[in-house]
This record gives sequence, C-alpha cells and structure tokens, in this order.
Amino acid sequence: MRLTCQPVLKSTVHCLLFILLLIIANTTSAQTSRNFKGVITNEKGEPVPGVTVELKGSKITAVTDASGAFSIQANEGATIVVTSVGYTAHQFILRGENLQSLTLSSSAQNLDQVVVVAYGTQRKKDITGAVAVVNVAEAKKYSTSDVAQLLQGRASGVQVNSDGQPGATPSVRIRGFGTFGNAQPLYVIDGVQVGTVVRDFSPNDIESIQVLKDASAAALYGSAAANGVVIITTKQGRKNSPLKVEYNGYYGIDKVWQIMPVTNRANYQLLNNEARVNAGRALAPGNNPASPKYITAIDTDWQKEGLKTGNRQNHNLSLSGGGEYNTYNISLDYFDNNGTYVGNGPTYTRYSARVNSSVEKGIFKIGENILYAHSNENLLTPTTGNDLAGALPPLINTLVFAIPTLGIYDPARDGGYAGTLSTVEDVISMNGIGLNSILKNYTDVDRIFANVYGEVQLLKSNGHSLRYRLNVSYDKTQARDYGFKPSFDLGYFFQSPIAKLNDNSRVFTTGLIENTLNYQKNFDRHGVEVLVGQTYQKSTSLFRNGYAEGFTKPYYPVLGGGGATSTDASGAFIEYAKASYLARINYNFDDRYLITASARRDASSRFTSSERVGYFPSIALGWRLTNEKFIDLPKNIVTDIKLRASYGKLGNDNIGDYQYQSVLNPGVVYTFNGVRYVGAIQTNLVDEKIKWEDRTSSNIGLDAVLLNGSFDFSAEYYNNKTIDVLVGVPIPLLYGSLNDRPTVNAATLRNTGLEFSATYHKSKGDFTYDISANLSTVKNEVLSLGANKEPIYGVGSITRVGTEVGQHYGFVYEGIFQNAAEITAHAFQNIQTAPGDIKFKDISGPDGKPDNVINDLDRDVLGSGIPKYHYGLTFSAAYKNFDFSLFGSGSAKFLIYARLYRDLMHTGGSANYRDDMLNRWTPTNTNTTIPRLNELDPNNNGRISNRPDWLQSGNYLRLNTLSLGYNFRSGLIKGMSKARVYVTAQNLYTFQKYKGYNPDFTSGVFNPGYDDGSYPKPRTIMGGIQLSF
Amino acid sequence: MKKISLFALIIVSVIVFITGCEKKLNLVNPNAPTTTGYWVTEKQAFDGSTAMYSAFTVDGTYMRSFPGLTDSRGDDFVGDSPWADLVLTGKFIIPSTSGPVQWIWRDHYIVINRANQVIEGVGKMDASILSDDKKNRILGQAYFLRGLSYYNLATTFKFAPILTTPEFDRNPGNYPATATEEVLWNQVFTDLQAAELNLPISYDNVVGPDKGQKGRATKGSAAGLLGKSYLYRKDYAKAALQFEKFITGPLQGIYSLMPNYRDNFKEGVAFENNSESLFEIQFAPGGSTDNWCCEPNSGWRQWTSVSITYGMDGKAFSDYLPTRWIYNEFKLEPTITGKSDPRLLATIASYEPADNSITAYGGTWTNPLTNIYPRKYTNDGLGPAFEAFGGSFINYRVMRYADVLLGYAEVLNELNRTAEAYPFIQQVRTRATLPNLATVKPNMNQAQMRDQLAHERALEFSIEGQRINDIIRWGWLYNATKLAELKLHDTDFTSWTPGNEYLPIPQTELDLNKNLLPNGAN
Repeated sequence: MRLTCQPVLKSTVHCLLFILLLIIANTTSAQTSRNFKGVITNEKGEPVPGVTVELKGSKITAVTDASGAFSIQANEGATIVVTSVGYTAHQFILRGENLQSLTLSSSAQNLDQVVVVAYGTQRKKDITGAVAVVNVAEAKKYSTSDVAQLLQGRASGVQVNSDGQPGATPSVRIRGFGTFGNAQPLYVIDGVQVGTVVRDFSPNDIESIQVLKDASAAALYGSAAANGVVIITTKQGRKNSPLKVEYNGYYGIDKVWQIMPVTNRANYQLLNNEARVNAGRALAPGNNPASPKYITAIDTDWQKEGLKTGNRQNHNLSLSGGGEYNTYNISLDYFDNNGTYVGNGPTYTRYSARVNSSVEKGIFKIGENILYAHSNENLLTPTTGNDLAGALPPLINTLVFAIPTLGIYDPARDGGYAGTLSTVEDVISMNGIGLNSILKNYTDVDRIFANVYGEVQLLKSNGHSLRYRLNVSYDKTQARDYGFKPSFDLGYFFQSPIAKLNDNSRVFTTGLIENTLNYQKNFDRHGVEVLVGQTYQKSTSLFRNGYAEGFTKPYYPVLGGGGATSTDASGAFIEYAKASYLARINYNFDDRYLITASARRDASSRFTSSERVGYFPSIALGWRLTNEKFIDLPKNIVTDIKLRASYGKLGNDNIGDYQYQSVLNPGVVYTFNGVRYVGAIQTNLVDEKIKWEDRTSSNIGLDAVLLNGSFDFSAEYYNNKTIDVLVGVPIPLLYGSLNDRPTVNAATLRNTGLEFSATYHKSKGDFTYDISANLSTVKNEVLSLGANKEPIYGVGSITRVGTEVGQHYGFVYEGIFQNAAEITAHAFQNIQTAPGDIKFKDISGPDGKPDNVINDLDRDVLGSGIPKYHYGLTFSAAYKNFDFSLFGSGSAKFLIYARLYRDLMHTGGSANYRDDMLNRWTPTNTNTTIPRLNELDPNNNGRISNRPDWLQSGNYLRLNTLSLGYNFRSGLIKGMSKARVYVTAQNLYTFQKYKGYNPDFTSGVFNPGYDDGSYPKPRTIMGGIQLSF
Repeated sequence: MKKISLFALIIVSVIVFITGCEKKLNLVNPNAPTTTGYWVTEKQAFDGSTAMYSAFTVDGTYMRSFPGLTDSRGDDFVGDSPWADLVLTGKFIIPSTSGPVQWIWRDHYIVINRANQVIEGVGKMDASILSDDKKNRILGQAYFLRGLSYYNLATTFKFAPILTTPEFDRNPGNYPATATEEVLWNQVFTDLQAAELNLPISYDNVVGPDKGQKGRATKGSAAGLLGKSYLYRKDYAKAALQFEKFITGPLQGIYSLMPNYRDNFKEGVAFENNSESLFEIQFAPGGSTDNWCCEPNSGWRQWTSVSITYGMDGKAFSDYLPTRWIYNEFKLEPTITGKSDPRLLATIASYEPADNSITAYGGTWTNPLTNIYPRKYTNDGLGPAFEAFGGSFINYRVMRYADVLLGYAEVLNELNRTAEAYPFIQQVRTRATLPNLATVKPNMNQAQMRDQLAHERALEFSIEGQRINDIIRWGWLYNATKLAELKLHDTDFTSWTPGNEYLPIPQTELDLNKNLLPNGAN
C-alpha cells in the first residue's frame, strides 16, 4: 500500500475536503476555531488508519482511527499537514465543508517526505547532505536473514556483496574503499548505534531505511561514521488507533542452480595419468588399469550427491495500536533456512520478539524499544582446524574438487565415510559430505537490545521550542560456539583418532547514554534548529574458550563429559569506551537557502592519551532554485530543484582494542625434562602512536522533482579522501614479529564517484507502475602508503601508490611453447620447461630491463578487481487486484581471480578437473591456450598470471526478485482489512560470464577481485501471504 | 520559573556526568602484561628464556619443514608427495614463492628476535634481582639459540641479514641488509663462543628454577656446534681445539655414544636428552592448539609432524622416500656377525627377512616388498600402528656426540694427521658392530680417508638434515666427477644448476626489503 497524497500546491480538485465544524475558543486568535472532521482513504477507497494530522504552526495533532477518520480543532482556512515516517507528507487547507474525505493518491516521491537523519528527522526537501532513502516495501520482497542484504541494488553508492549460505552476513560498502580495515557501515536502529552487524533484527520489523553517505549527513556519528551510516527505524504503533493484527508469512524452496562441469571417472583418470606420466612418475594404482587396485566401479558425482534442496520460511505476527497518549507495537518473528549442503550445515534459525511503546502527557514523553532474539546457526563445517592440514578452500568447493574415484561411504573407516589412500588414489581429496556429516558446529546467539528514552519540553512559547532528551540503551549479545569432532578417519590428511570438543562463548555488551537538547525557532522567513548533545558509550567483549579431548564412545560431548582425557581453558576480556560531544545547527531561509553545520568531538580508548581526541566538523549548503522569484519554470514540468553541497570530516576508530599497547604473550610453551613450562615474551611489534583515520568528504548534489512529482531524480558527485588510514603495513619477516603487518597510520586513499537515481511513476485507470533505477561509479586511488610506499601484496594482487586498491598482479601470458626451439629462443623459465608449457613475458630484471630470465621481477599489473559500476533496477506495477515487481542489480568492469576455477584447472594437485581441461595441450592438440599436464608443473603454469580464464570478467546482472501478488478485496473475511497472496522467485538467474558461483562474493580488502570460494546463492521459489485485521 | 530551574538542574547534572567520562578512557589491557616495566624480576628472566625455545617447535624450524626441506636436497632422500613444494625442493627448482621456504626463514628469525629480547632485557638486569650466575646461564642460552639460528640460515640460504637487537627500524631504507657469508659465519662463531663461555655443563646442580631442566642448552651444546661450524668453514685448527674439549678437555667424559643407535630417535625419558645428545628440540604431548605457527598460547601443543610426513604409505603421508643408493650404501659392509648394518633398519623401513625384520608399525608389511621408506624419526616399530595426526613427540636431535667424533676425525685428516683419525671413526663403527677400520682399510691416504668419512657420515647421519650441507661444503656440486656420482645416487641432481643447492631467499622478503640480496637459488 502506498500512503501518499497529492500536495496542496498541485490542486485541490483531486482532494475533496469535507469538514465538520465545531467551534472552540482560541486564546491567541480572534478567528473562530471549530472541530474539523475528515476521513483519509487510499486510491482504492480503503480507509488508512494511523496517519498523523498536524495543524501547521502548532503542536495540535490528531491520528486517524481504524476507519481512517480524524478530527482536529482549527480555524477556517488553516493548513493541516499529514505526515507519516517512511511515507509522504501533504498539506491541505481546511475549508467550509462539513466533512472532508481526503483521497490519497500515489506519488513516486514527495518533497514533504519525512526522513530520519542523525539524531532527528528532517523533511526531504530540507536535506543538504547525501542521504539515500531505501524503498523498504519493495526491498522487503527479497527473503533474507539479514537486513543489510536489503540494501543491495536499492541505493546508489551502496555496494552489497554476500555469499549464499543461510545466515550469511553480507559485506556492505558505502562509496568505495575508504579504509583498509573494517569497512562495514555503522548501523543505527531507532537512534541507537548497534555496530556493524544487524542480523538479529528481522526485516519484517522495519519501517524505513536511510543511508547517510557524506560527512554532512553522518558527522554527528563522528569517529564511527567514516564508512557511512545506515539508519533503520522500526515499526511503531500509532496514536488513537485500535488494535491492528498483521500476519506475514512465506515458505520457499532453495536450489543451487550453478553446477560446475567437472570430469567423470574415466576422464579424471585419463588426465591424472597423463599428468603423472608427463612428470615421470608412476600412475596412481587406483588410476592404473594394470594395477589390481584400479578403480572402475566408483564414479561419484559429488555435486549431485552433496547438494540438496533447501527450504526457508518466515512467519511474523504483529500487534499494534495506540490511545490518545500512548502507542504500542508487539511483534513476533520466526525465520528458518535450511541450506543446500548434505550433512549438518548450513542452516539458520531465528526467533525474535520486539516490543515498543510510548507514553506522553504534558511536557513529558517516554518510550522504549526492546528486542530479544535467539538464533541458531549450523555453520558449514570450517576447513581449518587441528585435523585439516593445509590451506583448504571453503567446504562448498569440496563438492567440486572431490575426485570421482572416491566413494562417499566406507563402513570400515571410523565415522563411516570414505577417504583416499596414498596407496590407491594417491591424492589428498576431501570427502565433504563425510566431513559435514561427522563434525558438528553451531553458534547459538541470544541478544537483548533495550532502549529507553525520555523527553521533556522545557520551553515552548513565542515560537521557541526547547526539548531535552535522554536516551539510554543496553545491548547484550551472548554467543555460544560449539564444535564437536568425534574421532574420524576420512583418509590421508583428514583424520583424528581423538574426539575433540571446543565449547566457546562470547559475550558482548554495549551501554550508551545520550543527553541532547533541541532548540527550534521559526520567525518570519527564518527557521532555526539547534541540537547539542553529549554521549558516553562503553563496550565489553568477553571470550571464554573451553576445550576437551579424548572422549570415548558413546560420546557425552560436553566439557565435563565422560572420558575426556585432557581439558584446556582460555579466554580474554576487552573493553572499549568513547566519550563525545555533538552539535548541529540547521538554518532555513525562506525555503530557499539551507545551511547545516555540525560537529562532533570523540575521545576513544583505542588510542594512547595524546592521540585520543578527534574533531569531526561539517558544513552543508542547499539552494532551492525553484523557490526563487527570478526563476519562473512551469511547475508541472519542473516542480522542484535543489542544489546542495557539503564538506566535512569523519573518522574511523574501528581497529580493535589495545592496538597501541606493546604486550607480552604470557603463554609461550616449552617442555624441559618432560615438564611443560609456560614462558612469556613479546611476540608482536606494534606502533604505539596510532591515531584516528580521518576522512574528508565533499559532496555536490542535485535533487529534482519533475512532471508534477511523477519523475524524481537525484545526481551526486563525491570526493572522499581518507588520510592516516590504519593499515597493517608488512614489515620484513626478519624482524621476528608474528604479526608481520603491524597497524600504522600509513595510507591515504581517495574515492570519487557519481551517483544517479531516478524514479518514474505513472498511474492510469486501474493500472499504475513505478520504474526506478540507480547507478553509481567508484574510482579508487591510493595516494600514499606511508614513507616507504612499499606495495601491499594480497592474493595475486598489489596495492600501490597511484593506482586503486588490490589490482590483479602477476605474470603476463604470451602463448604456449610449441617446440623446443621456441623454448630456447625465449627467456629462460625453468630447466624442465617443455612444449605445451606457457610462455611468460620477460618484462624486467635486476637492472630494470628484460634480462632473459623469467622470475618474480616479471610480474605486472593485470587488471582491476573493483567494479567500476553498480546498478539496480526496479519495475513494479499494479493492475486492479494484481501487483507485480521485478528487481535486478549488477556490477560491471572488473576481473575476478577465481580460485574455484584455477584449482579445477590444476596440473598436479589433488582435485578433479574442470571439463575445460580436456582441451589441454598435447602433442596432437596444439591449438589451445590450456597448457600441458605435468603433475609437478615445473614451468609453474599454474602461477598467478593472466593466462586465458585465469582472470575472468565479473560483469553480471542478477534477477534478484520477480514477484506476483494478488490482493483480495477488503472485508472478504469479517474484520480483515487486507489480504494478499504472492509468489516470488528469488535469484532467478544471473547473467554472467564468470565461471565461479557469485560474482558478488565477499573478499579481503587487499584482494577485492579474489574469490576464495563463496557459497552459491540458491534459486528460491516461495509463496507467501499477508493478512491484516 | 519552574521550567528554568528544571532546565538548570538538567544542565548541571549533564556537566557533572560529562566530566567523569574522559577519565574512563584509560583502559588497561587486562589480558597480558605490557612491555613497559617488564624485565624486572627473576621470574620474567626465566619466562623469557623458556619462550625462546618455543619458536624451535614450529613448522619452519624443527617441527616439519626445516628437516624436510633439508633432507630432501640430499642424495639420500627424494620427495614423493602430492605437495609439489616438497618434490621441487629436492630437485633444486623450488620457486622463491614457496610457503615452506618462507616459513623456514620466518621461524628462524622469530627465534633470533626472542633471543635478542632476552639478551637486551636480561642483560641489563641488576645483580640484586638476578644473580650473575643465573644471568650468565640465561644469556648463554640466548647466544646459543641465536647462534644455532644463524648457523641454520647460513647452511640453508648461504647468506642473510644479522640482527643483534630487538629494535625495529620502521624506515625501509634502514631495513637490515644482507650480511656476507663471511660476516654471517663470524656471527655464528661469536654467538657460540659467548654461549660456551656462559653456559653450564649441566643443569643438574645449578641453583635456580632451572635446576634439573634437561633440554636447556649447555656448554657442550655450544662447544660442539662451534666446532662443527669451524669445520664447515674449513678452519680446521680452531675446529680441532673445539672437538678436543670433548676428548681431552673440560668436556671429557660428559658424552658417550648410546649402545643402541636407534635409541637416538625414540621418544621417552630413557632415550631423550641422552648421553649422546649435545642438544635437541623437545617435543611433548598436551595442549590443544596446533604448533604449526603463529601466536602461541598456554594450551599450545608441541608435537612434531616429521613422523607423519616421513612415515610409509598406508601408515602416514610418505611425502619422502630414501634413495636406492643410500639403501645400497648400507648394504656395502656387513657387521662382524654378517648381518646388515643395524643403522639400516634404524634409518630405513625395508622388508629384510635376513635381518628378522618383516613388519611395519608392529604389523604385517602391507606395501610391495621391495619398497623402502624412511624410518628414522618415525614411530615405526615403537608402538603405534600408524602415525596419528598430532600424535608424535620424538625430540629432534640437533647434534649428537657421533658428530663430534666424526668431525674430529675429519679435522685430523684435513690437518694431515690421517692415521690419528682411525680410532674416532672406529668408535662410531663399533657401535654399529662394523669391523675395525684399521684392519679393513689400513693406511688410507688423505683423499681415501675423505671418501671413507663421506661414506661413514652418510650412514651415520642419513635423514638427519646433514647430507646436503656436507655435499655443499665438500664442493661436490662443483666437481664434475662428484656431481656425476650424485646424479647416479639421486636423479634429482640432474635438474640442479649452480647456486640452486641453497633454498631461495623468500620472494616476499625481497619485495619488502631492498637491502636484501637474492642468492643463487632465486
């Protein structure tokens, strides 16, 4: 439902006003005042409850009841303002009729829309900073466990990457790479900073989402805001409305649709044998037709066996309403997602309950928001740990890598699952189904988030208004990380004869207290609003790790459980505190000139006392051209134009605690004479002078409303420069520091970009539709990397001064050697280089010029790992009782280093092959770009290079949601005001050339283009129902 | 008026609250002591000394990669692993980006850093806190461990930078530069001399918390390794002086050969830190976090993965195999009772019915009967039915008394006292029940004795991380005849090219530190 209304300036013809008159004496006016009554309905004639109606220039308000009716005391000819957070606000003039029926018709955007900003709300038309408003109603059509995921493709300048497993936490970046550390934005929910993870909050409870992108908008969050701020407001009850009961629910199935083409048994054996023969090694017995151990009976299709159909469901029940002085909202939510991997994980289940209410009387107002959430996440078995040697890729890739000659089950082995033998298969290949079935890993999270506020109207006379607000919140998250490894044997390299248990807990608390004073005064054509405040925040993190091993069967897998021969405990406690002052002035002259100036002073415990305090000022100017008398444009074409510019500074202290303190490690163990001793020594070097990261942000924007509000357009340009970026600058290993990248304020980064968003709305008879689109560009540049300018290397990437972060870096492919003469003629690569090996380009040598030897001096930049464009497209339409929406998003112009692909195109190693490998170079198949097979790969063909397909285009367009709904007529069942059924297809298809799973994988900061292996996003088909009474 | 007083009350309370806040920002890390004000108690001195040793139990030192990558370059050992790094190292074509190569570099410098912290921190402690006696012991250990690290770096990388303080200069222009081979060895000599001077012969009767702590470096550890270092650098006169300390000098009678050769490679108090051992790295059960690398904690394990890496097919990873040449070398000379040299079956797992050895890991020999596998430093025959991941704790012997004896014999031969070398060689041969060399091969000339010593060392020290070092110091790779022999011993040598006998300097280090020179293997 769109709750909007035509602005009064358009026409009153569409909005017929009927007013019932009732006279009440007004002390400040000679005019007669009376009681006007009205009914607010939407375009379909349905009553709209809960809309706030305010008499302009006063504090007199009313709220519509269940039948959409309101009454208000006012003078003839007075203006009322109809507002509602997340919807649009409208003005009407009260005329002589007895009863007014206000019909709200949809409008794409509206200037009077109220937007939640830092420490308050503002009309959209008054905003001078860069604030993106997310269309929450559309965004919520995407089923996800994490609110942050809803931002993908919905707001320009906001990039969301995520994996596809249940409970996946997306990575959100606002306006590019502004830091090398944690780049997640700050989330503020109902006015409280909740850190960088919001998974415990149900998307169903959300009323509105705003993204603050520049310094002006975000400066009041100072040192926490450099990565941008996402402001989320949850649903509240409405005054003077009876109990409203709403149910939303859906059920869907998940299926992985991206299947990697890998070789079957016969082809695997063919390729593996060829690799070994070419390396001069005997065949693996299991692949050798002449061996009694030759495997012919097993041909496992691991993807078919290991992937299953998952499912998801979500049920939400909410009760809300309010009386003359109070509001309330209670919501219960259940989300459950079973993943697509055979075995114990991944799954994610969450139960949550939210309660909020508010009471006001006289000059006082108090209220609270309380959330309790419990979740259980069965993690996909991690591939690191005591019994899994080597740097294994995420377990999802195991289903692609596992060799087809390995069976799934083997009752003879401990645990019952098959594994490889060095005497048969002679490869290290992981049975992912077995591992994911034997090992049990889960995380239980309980979170209580409570926020209580009180307001006092200290002064209200002669247009002066002064309010004091006290906001106190407490946020506690308790997590239990449980991991039990029974004794098991999955063969070669993957075995543990000892049963082991890790039972760990993490407890995080954050207490916040905020005091703010808000002063407002309107006189003549001036509007002034001043905010000052003070806040103090303290957080603690407690880690308790318990370990026991040597359990005997039958297992009692708790720390005190039977038979454990050895136990161990460890833990840590961390505190963080921040004290701040903040201030803001908004000044508005004649709705033409707007100024916002704000500042925050933060002092953080994360830095030594001399570097502790940071100041974060900002200023923004706005100019509404269309309100100038000398600009005379037809309002039905150019309705409103605003130019705005901002400049300011933000900070980032999100670097972990005690980083400036040099400490000793008191747990360095050694044994003398059979007795264990624990020594102590400094194991890491630190920089004791680290300080804030400072981001200077400039923003220029244009907001235009055209065609009487049916076309809405925004464009912005930003230039963000972050200095003193805290970065782990690698130091030589010979300094003997275990952390060979101590954090220092070393780098300067600049991000510039353009952002566009546009919405077009059209309504004709029974047919209405909306088209909205956004596009953003990001250009990143590293301006300095400290005194030494030493590049930072990531996985196949380099970050150096003058270019963007994490460019692909490696050798340059020049073709395939076809004969010995070509090898002799080319720069020396390896003594065993042979025809069929890759020819790499001789770029440089010790003297800076080609030296006829291929070594690490011949590496070069191979391309960008950061998308240059991000875009989102939404089309939604309604015809009679049907509604439809389609949402797609994508990114373009970047290259991906796909570990999944490269590992499948190995020449030796321990994995299956991609079918592409059948086209490898052989003496009879020379017209190819895929090198010969040789198990030892003496030429190092697998090295990081730009050989064909080693870097793949990341361009993609994903059809995120395709949804079709049907609305039953109101009153079909007694008391029912709304009933809608819908079907949605999610992640229906992705147009991509990329040969891995997700082109929007999550990655490390120094190798943004490196896909280590991300869980595929399943295709989800779901059906749902929405009811309200 | 009422409103104003309420307002004032709030303002005052806010100010009171605010002024209290900033003091709350001085948060002290409750998890670990800070470095400021450390090194002031005796306990801290000893804790620091313990922590140095710990860095020798990780992947890049003696836990796996250092023995593995050293052994695999010898002519007695070849890689047979799906992990290409292990094979390529033996073939002398390991790229400078190899992980294990980097770990060896990294982990030895971690030992050096910790030794430097102790030398600086303990060095300035007042006698009122730490008696001179204790202080010398601790400093002596720091010098020894640092000297041993530089010795390993010199034999593995040929040359490397020297750090003698824990100070960290952040300016890349001042990053430590490569020291020449000469200067690096001089540092080894200096450190080991200081160690020998300061260390006690034994900890059995010292006064202090380290009393009875077998496993700490001793005077013998330093004196022996110093002698070996001089030998490596062909300073025979000084080497002779060092070794003579064991024969006729202050260390006389302290060390002796174990009657049973295999006892040197077994776990347990009866076999570890035994009379033959000059210094060894201690591995022991307990703990939960693997000691491959990284930040230690009190729950750290101290297991060695050499066993599971070396152990045979079906019982372990079998990442390496002995060469047929070394097997045959053992068979060249039977014992006085006509059996195979007992060191064969202590070194190599082989199916030998003639020597009553037909089992593997206490059970039936399951592999092809002609196959041979490493046995030294594995648990084959010591109880376990297979190598359990995390289940091996055999101390790694860094230097044995047999090395002193054969080293002294070599020194005597090089000093043209060839005849005097016989009895020292014979001590080692007698333990192996081999006949008297003076009878079998009397009156050898210097060159013949060199060949004999090479043979004796190959048998005595096979799979002990020594062979490639001997091959390098004897110059065999640059001697056409010897190189041809090596290629016959081990085809891996066919891909050797000059300079590649060392491991390459890790690429990441060269990228970061412009003062660092590549070596011939880069």
